[in-house]
Amino acid sequence: MTVRVTRRQFLECSAAVAVPLRWRLGRGFSPVLGAKEQRVLDLGPHCSLRDSLAGYAAAMEGRAQETDVSSLAPCAVLIVPAAVEIPPAAVRAITASLEAGGLVILESGAGFASARDRSRHRAVLHDAFQVRIESPVDLWPEANGSAIPYVDYSWPVAAKVRDFSRVVPLARGAGEIIARVNGLPVALRLRCGRGTLIVLGSPLGPALWAGDAQARLWLRAVVKATAGLG
Amino acid sequence: MKKSIGDNMFPKDWGFAQGLELVKRAGYDGIELWLGDMPWFQMSTSDADVRALRRAVESAGLVVSNVSTGLHWRSPLSARDPTVRAHAARIVERQIETAALLGADAVLVVAGLVTEEVPYNEVYQRSVEALKPLGDTAKQAGVRIGCENCNAEQRFLMSPREFWQFLGDVNHPAVGIHLDVGNIHDNGFAEQWIEMLGSRITRIHVKDVLKHRGRCGDQSVYTNLLLGDNNWPAIRAALTKVGYDGWLVAEMEARYRYAPDQQFFDTAQAMDRVIAGRL
Repeated sequence: MTVRVTRRQFLECSAAVAVPLRWRLGRGFSPVLGAKEQRVLDLGPHCSLRDSLAGYAAAMEGRAQETDVSSLAPCAVLIVPAAVEIPPAAVRAITASLEAGGLVILESGAGFASARDRSRHRAVLHDAFQVRIESPVDLWPEANGSAIPYVDYSWPVAAKVRDFSRVVPLARGAGEIIARVNGLPVALRLRCGRGTLIVLGSPLGPALWAGDAQARLWLRAVVKATAGLG
Repeated sequence: MKKSIGDNMFPKDWGFAQGLELVKRAGYDGIELWLGDMPWFQMSTSDADVRALRRAVESAGLVVSNVSTGLHWRSPLSARDPTVRAHAARIVERQIETAALLGADAVLVVAGLVTEEVPYNEVYQRSVEALKPLGDTAKQAGVRIGCENCNAEQRFLMSPREFWQFLGDVNHPAVGIHLDVGNIHDNGFAEQWIEMLGSRITRIHVKDVLKHRGRCGDQSVYTNLLLGDNNWPAIRAALTKVGYDGWLVAEMEARYRYAPDQQFFDTAQAMDRVIAGRL
């Protein structure tokens, strides 16, 4: 069963957005890495690419459990595919996992969202995680007749994955850039408390869904390197 | 077998009624209606106007063989953008709705479009996923979806074995193949596609193909029946072997430069020869 974030949950938890992550990292928390939970979070209407969700679920080969965001406990690995709006309940789940030393892969789906939804997406990323994003860039009008715009990942392993047409460049600032396409930074790694936040500006899930071997290799390597899970 | 031809073959500036009269006079049994191609049959055409089209067809002594569309070239089911995919699905749904209104039981769909930007594996996956629920919709309406083999243009499902696997992955009794015997070019042989996919064929488009010719200016790779490289005796024999007794639908790309109505008569006579096996 897949449980989605409802509007009611959104409203009930709306106060959480106003509390930046770093304010809360100093509070006490219980480590959860021993629990080994791996989850793929379905944001329901706030996930802009369902094939991305399917891709991560397939790539985790049954190791990732389905997630009820309203009662989500901190996880060792939490993947949030193609996020557009990130409701407060999801922000709290992400934050809790990071505070507990988990790995969170937050994939932006803003390239396929309306301007209004992109604006909300941008605000949450900034307010909750201090991550700044730029406007989506369509790589293909410029690619006409030239090379395919591959996303080059440089950490934790080198991997080359097809672009997904529209990317959301990440502004320079917090974190380490770990992937670029056509010179644009499209993935970053950020230490948050005891955890690691990876933000993807180019959707990886559809490539996983289509069976891209290097995309799967990269995901496995990230999980292994960051969460110690193979 | 019965003969049909598309309304998109009507000479330019001809109206629907005039075209139907020509189709009947040339000896066809039915008409293929192309959603979105002709002014009288658009996505915005109301159900009442679709019923009026049916009455006009039946008044001309014809029936609607199937509903086709070229709209998926602009809005493919395999698009990366979910909003484009939703529109593509809506096009298929409208085809199904109108087919039911028109008394037809088959629609033609171009199921996926491989491009430089959207690679093959993505197109395959999305097309399979898109067709499953559409198959349910079609089944409820008593209609079958025929995915056309537009091999060269789609760059997708290039062999009969691959097409068979694709239909197996869709795994829906209401989804089959609308086989175009002219679209196979030099990738294979139409009669082998018929043999392998026989039970899954919903309709057959007929035209001939000049295998040695690529597209060049206004010179098409396609030509009129019996003028090209298709092995028509083998195609006819394969149709007999698999027990196909449905519609043959003429779809010519190259049009007569003069006397365009003559192409309807010539094509109908060639189809009669194919059906009769006098080859």
